[in-house]
Amino acid sequence: MTASHPRHGLDEVIHAPVRFSITATLAAADKAEFAFVRDTVEVSDSVLSKQVATLEKAGYVKVTKGYVGKRPRTWLALTAEGRAAFAAHCAALRAIAGGQAGDREHVAGG
Amino acid sequence: MPGYEATAAATALARAQALDSTVRSGSRWFVRYQWLFGCAAAVAVLACGLIDGPAGAIVFAVLWVAAVTTLAVWANRQPVSRHGLGRRHHVMIAAWGLLHAAVITPGTIWFRGDLAWWVPGAVVVALPGLVGAWREGRR
Repeated sequence: MTASHPRHGLDEVIHAPVRFSITATLAAADKAEFAFVRDTVEVSDSVLSKQVATLEKAGYVKVTKGYVGKRPRTWLALTAEGRAAFAAHCAALRAIAGGQAGDREHVAGG
Repeated sequence: MPGYEATAAATALARAQALDSTVRSGSRWFVRYQWLFGCAAAVAVLACGLIDGPAGAIVFAVLWVAAVTTLAVWANRQPVSRHGLGRRHHVMIAAWGLLHAAVITPGTIWFRGDLAWWVPGAVVVALPGLVGAWREGRR
């Protein structure tokens, strides 16, 4: 095992499955309503709140509260730092997944 | 186990791709938004140029304020905006503003009531919305 292995490029905050899904959803969006993210990621309100708090604490997610008419709404968005971290995390994932293709080619090549 | 690690990475990337598709589907409202904006811009310009006297300006103002307010409220109620949507919206509004001024200013001075100016002018001011809707639909 060396420090150059692509797994070292994985972001510890984003790596958890639910947080990865939240970040991936927000990476595809300028902003998204809390309920949209909850339904897309398929988690409960409390789980989403907890994971968003972790991402917010890491500086990856910005939470904005407001109203649509008289109804309160919470909007989530990735910060520039969160977007950069997600891009780096995905680059590491691609490098790891590419290793699988390399292994297969190696096996196929005998 | 390298094979397992690579499979997990590929699964995560596939999940990210699926979530991107969900956000893209949820942002389809912006196609309709731009289409309606383009149509409203064209109708407002026609009203401004083809209705005689101050009534034209009043009808234009009422139509335009109603259309923009409705669209703004509707857009604000949407649950998700795809990445880059805000920037594309600003580009569309800037293009519409420039074309609107280019049609309205000479039109109200020299071509009032002239169909040959206002009908093509209405098409021109509709273009940012209609082209934007077409491009958004292809993304």
